[in-house]
Amino acid sequence: MKIFLTILLKELVSFFRSFGLVILVIYFFTAEVYVAANGMEIEAKNVAVGVVDKSAGGMSKKILSNLHSPEFQTPKFYKSQKELSDAIYNKDIMVGMIFDEQFEKNYYKNLNPTINILIDSTTASQSLMAIGYIQNILMKFNNLKLPVALKMHKLFNQNADTGLFMGVSELLSVITLLTTILTAIAFVKEKESGTWDIMLLMPVNPKIIILAKSLSQIIIIMLGVTISVGLILFQSLDVPINGNLLNFFILTFFYVATTAGIGLFIAAVSKNIMQISQLSIVIMMPIIFLSGAWTPIYAMHPLLQYISAITPLSYYIEGCESIFFRGTEFIDLLPYFGGVLILGVILYWYGFRKIGKLF
Amino acid sequence: MLEVKDLAVSHKKKLAIKNLSFKVADGEILGFIGADGAGKSSALNAIAGVIKFDGEILYNEFSYKSPKEAQKVKHDIGYMPQGIGLVLYKTLTIKEHLDFFTDIRDIKIDREFLEYKNHLLSMAGLEKFLERRAGDLSGGMMQKLSLVCTMLHRPKLLILDEPTTGVDPLSRIELWEILQQSAKEFNTISIISTAYMGEASKMDNILLFDEGEIIARGNSEQLIEEIKPFVYDKIETDKKHITISDTTYCLENLENQHQKPTLESLFFVNALKKDRLLPKLQIAKSKESIDKNVVVMKATKITKKFGDFYANRDVDCELKSGEILGLLGANGAGKTTFIKMLLGLLPLDGGELELFDKKIKNSDDRNKLKSQIGYVSQHFALYDDMTVRENMMFFASIHKIETLKAIKLIDNYSKELGFEKYLDEMPKSLPLGINQRFSLAVSILHEPKVLFLDEPTSGVDAIARAQFWELLKELKNKRGISILITTHYMSEAEFCDRVVLLKDGEKIADDRVENFYKKFPDAKSFEEIFLEYFR
Amino acid sequence: MRLRIVKAYFIKEMIELIRTKMIMMPYLMPLLIVILFGYGIKMQVTGVRTLILDNDNSQISRKLILKFEHSKYFTTTVKNMSEKDALREMKKANIDAIIIIPSSFEKNSLKGVKTEIGVFIDASFPSRATTMSNYIQGVVMDLASDFHIDSSGVININTRNLFNQALRDEEMIVPGLIGMVLLISPAILTALIIAREKEEGTIFNFYSSSVSKLEFLVAKLSAIFFLVSIAIFVIFLVASYLFNLPFRGSFFLFWLASELYVFTALGFGLLVSILASSQIIAMIVTLMLTIIPAFMYSGMIMPISSMSGDAFITAHIYPVMYYNHIIYDTFLIGQGFKSATNISYLLILFTYGVVLFMLGLLFLKKEIK
Repeated sequence: MKIFLTILLKELVSFFRSFGLVILVIYFFTAEVYVAANGMEIEAKNVAVGVVDKSAGGMSKKILSNLHSPEFQTPKFYKSQKELSDAIYNKDIMVGMIFDEQFEKNYYKNLNPTINILIDSTTASQSLMAIGYIQNILMKFNNLKLPVALKMHKLFNQNADTGLFMGVSELLSVITLLTTILTAIAFVKEKESGTWDIMLLMPVNPKIIILAKSLSQIIIIMLGVTISVGLILFQSLDVPINGNLLNFFILTFFYVATTAGIGLFIAAVSKNIMQISQLSIVIMMPIIFLSGAWTPIYAMHPLLQYISAITPLSYYIEGCESIFFRGTEFIDLLPYFGGVLILGVILYWYGFRKIGKLF
Repeated sequence: MLEVKDLAVSHKKKLAIKNLSFKVADGEILGFIGADGAGKSSALNAIAGVIKFDGEILYNEFSYKSPKEAQKVKHDIGYMPQGIGLVLYKTLTIKEHLDFFTDIRDIKIDREFLEYKNHLLSMAGLEKFLERRAGDLSGGMMQKLSLVCTMLHRPKLLILDEPTTGVDPLSRIELWEILQQSAKEFNTISIISTAYMGEASKMDNILLFDEGEIIARGNSEQLIEEIKPFVYDKIETDKKHITISDTTYCLENLENQHQKPTLESLFFVNALKKDRLLPKLQIAKSKESIDKNVVVMKATKITKKFGDFYANRDVDCELKSGEILGLLGANGAGKTTFIKMLLGLLPLDGGELELFDKKIKNSDDRNKLKSQIGYVSQHFALYDDMTVRENMMFFASIHKIETLKAIKLIDNYSKELGFEKYLDEMPKSLPLGINQRFSLAVSILHEPKVLFLDEPTSGVDAIARAQFWELLKELKNKRGISILITTHYMSEAEFCDRVVLLKDGEKIADDRVENFYKKFPDAKSFEEIFLEYFR
Repeated sequence: MRLRIVKAYFIKEMIELIRTKMIMMPYLMPLLIVILFGYGIKMQVTGVRTLILDNDNSQISRKLILKFEHSKYFTTTVKNMSEKDALREMKKANIDAIIIIPSSFEKNSLKGVKTEIGVFIDASFPSRATTMSNYIQGVVMDLASDFHIDSSGVININTRNLFNQALRDEEMIVPGLIGMVLLISPAILTALIIAREKEEGTIFNFYSSSVSKLEFLVAKLSAIFFLVSIAIFVIFLVASYLFNLPFRGSFFLFWLASELYVFTALGFGLLVSILASSQIIAMIVTLMLTIIPAFMYSGMIMPISSMSGDAFITAHIYPVMYYNHIIYDTFLIGQGFKSATNISYLLILFTYGVVLFMLGLLFLKKEIK
């Protein structure tokens, strides 16, 4: 036990003395999460609209006066359809609206007035959202017989603030990548600096060395997570937490141990730090991809759905979202805990065996 | 002609060298000697034009005051910096290295060049390994390849920083033949730093460096002549003195026979002049009684193969308690491989190994014995991001030594081995000699019964090496520790009880040192005996 | 400049890259990113798992349900359960949206009394939530327009999707990804091969020889430039055939712009490696400098025209948006050399690369620090 603690302590000391790694970890846990939260905006906001208005102008002005911030920039006017489409071609604007000469007359005569809309669909999602906004605005000008309204409740994140979501998901990706890389580095550093032989000659059970080394990296990650959650998520980003924070930390601990297992595997097959970074990217990218962070799992190809069922990150992400946003009760979180735990035991055991063979 | 005027170099804001002025004539070989950290490398870097410096360097009609201005003379320069295999690309083969350097040096490929290239290769003994990658070469072979690459374009100004560290005596002799030949035939100016005093005696002129300054200059006879009055046969005295092996150095007059000094003596006399007395080495005597003649390690027909290549073939070897066994051989003869097999770092491909009367069959057998073995590797590999003290505490704890006892042990060893004031520094920032001593301290913390030392003295300065051997003898006598050591300093072979010679992976001789001298009565030194076997 | 030196370094770099397996970097990493992100990022939402609680069970409510069931955007379940249970299902992440039709929906509607349909959306993935709410609105509006007085008086929208008629996600994402990988992989590789020489000490061969700074840089960069130049074609093939992207513009423009862009990327890596002391630091700094701008300030996720203030300026500082503009043009738009914007952006890329290279030449020193 004393030996275990000694090795653990040694790993922590040597981590905190390696300037580059400390900076790397701090950067990823703070700036990276912060930037992702503030920079990634998929919502259509501030859309640049161009207008060619050949109608008399009264009605069209009324409609255009509804295009305002935050969704729209003040519309730019163009003289001809040619100019308008050139502007779209040069990406000066994203949406072009054309009111023809008959528009106003038709509107008052109830003769199917038509607005022609051109959209730059190279940025489809924003364009589509912009069209959605315009449709909603036009609804006001239509007289409908069926007076139906929607009472929208966006649960768990009332303002649909992308930043909160991106912040949390970025943190989860950072945990995934850093745990693998740090665990692998803890071992490969010894290979590179020639201390591996010394380690082999220590009169210590290899299992204790592996356990102590991987636990030390888990501790570093957990520290990073604590800083990130406290400083960035809560302080700077004001992420609400609807569930129990303790659940989050327990789940994170299990997950980090799981990923450390992958790190052990990478350490076993890499000779230097370059190979670690290459392998980590090759192995972790598909895991992140299949986790449902970008595309919901149910919308994937059925085959991919099966594969994603065996990636630990998918359980972890869903679990963390439930804790942070949905405020799910502990009993309903059990599937996530179960998924992470079972995969964790398998992956850690495998990595452990793999690296153990080198001793 | 090369002239250096008032050269000064700072490194990390500390003045590494100051007021350096000297001249070298065409065809002259100039040697730099001095303790670790005396500023030799900084001076060489400046002359090679790869570091910022103050002062002026004149080479023929060119003058340069900065690396930028040195560009015009680079064509003539061949520079090999310090560090084993530093300038080699680990994944390139020897042949690919040669092609690369031929091209970047823009050498015209004609018959003369090809002959010269083959000559260099056969001198270095590398012609058989053209397809081997640099990363798979032994340390000594890497050094030789670096040298070949540096000399490929027949530089007119050759600057070599400890080029022969870790190179075997045979190759060193051949290398010197080439150096002397190119000095004579092509009027090459050579500036070479070395830790082998045997080489220094072959130089036309020697500069002795200490703390960034030249403290003595002249050829080896002149230098030796100067210190003659201070060197005596071993004697006990109250006056300030240094005693190493069977020699006593003292600045005052002693009532004793004078001894013929060697170049190594320069270092000790200088240490006396600067009032740097050596710490007194004292190893506490072991409480247990020491059984002599117990076999602690017995290897029978040990074999190691890498592909078709036999690194070791049917090597038999025995190590008795309280014995220092020297393992000598040319570079690539399989010394390191042999030690690694004994340690269990490499699996055996054949043969049997017994340690402390137990057959070693699997890793469990080994684990039980790990606490009885100490090891210092070629690179003194310890943890770079922990201080000396932390490193020692770590290993003490690993060996289950109680904290209080460990603190006391560290205190004792650091005093005994003289690295007390370095305890709270990082290993990387320390001179090689200090690193070596503290690596040794780490390896004996847990009081092992046997020590394996792989080239522990390569690149270490004369004083540190002498002290190191004093220490090994103490360990042997007071603790009865058995020591297996490899080295390229033939003078050190004399300190061993028994010597094993390895050639191409096979054992060719195994005898007590005095018996070797009996076999070759004409031999003046062990180096000559060694050459008899390997010529 | 002596070509022999360039050749020697070129061969040496190639051998090293092959033996350290780093040669996969310009191919494996970009392909992995293009394929994963290309298939992975779905801006459109399909198959929203929707739970409808029909408390009315009338003709109109069934008509509404039918509309949901027929839409490809929704996977609908109609169930009778309490709102509380439904919410719990959502907390378990089994459903994404709940639609609650009130009991007197038909009666009130026909009387002209305003009724409200309750909609609950899981907004823990916010952008998806916005899209979902837009879809739901669309369906309900569609139902409503079936009931308007007569076919007059309603403003029609006639939408034309330029460039990407089918609104395929691949067509908007993949060109942007090309801009990302052609920046990251050459930059990292350059940073690594120079930092590596510094870390291992082999840079002494350059310091102590007569190889000039220009020769060294050209020689070092040529190997990577060559490898990435091949990658440009590989990535083009992947985009065209795997993702079925149309190619409407000039291939020559695509190729020229890509080479210039790779040149600027090399410049990035070069500058980083000259300033960084170790491989790890070189890699981290390069990643920081490239990934974020390539993702956020490239126009791929957020259109440049929608940016304002700092973001707008930042986007113009990085080279990514200029390249992306040309790439989107060659794949989807097809203005080619006719567009003055394309030509001026091409010049900007060229200048950018030259400036970075010059800076590299200036900062590179043939001496130990």
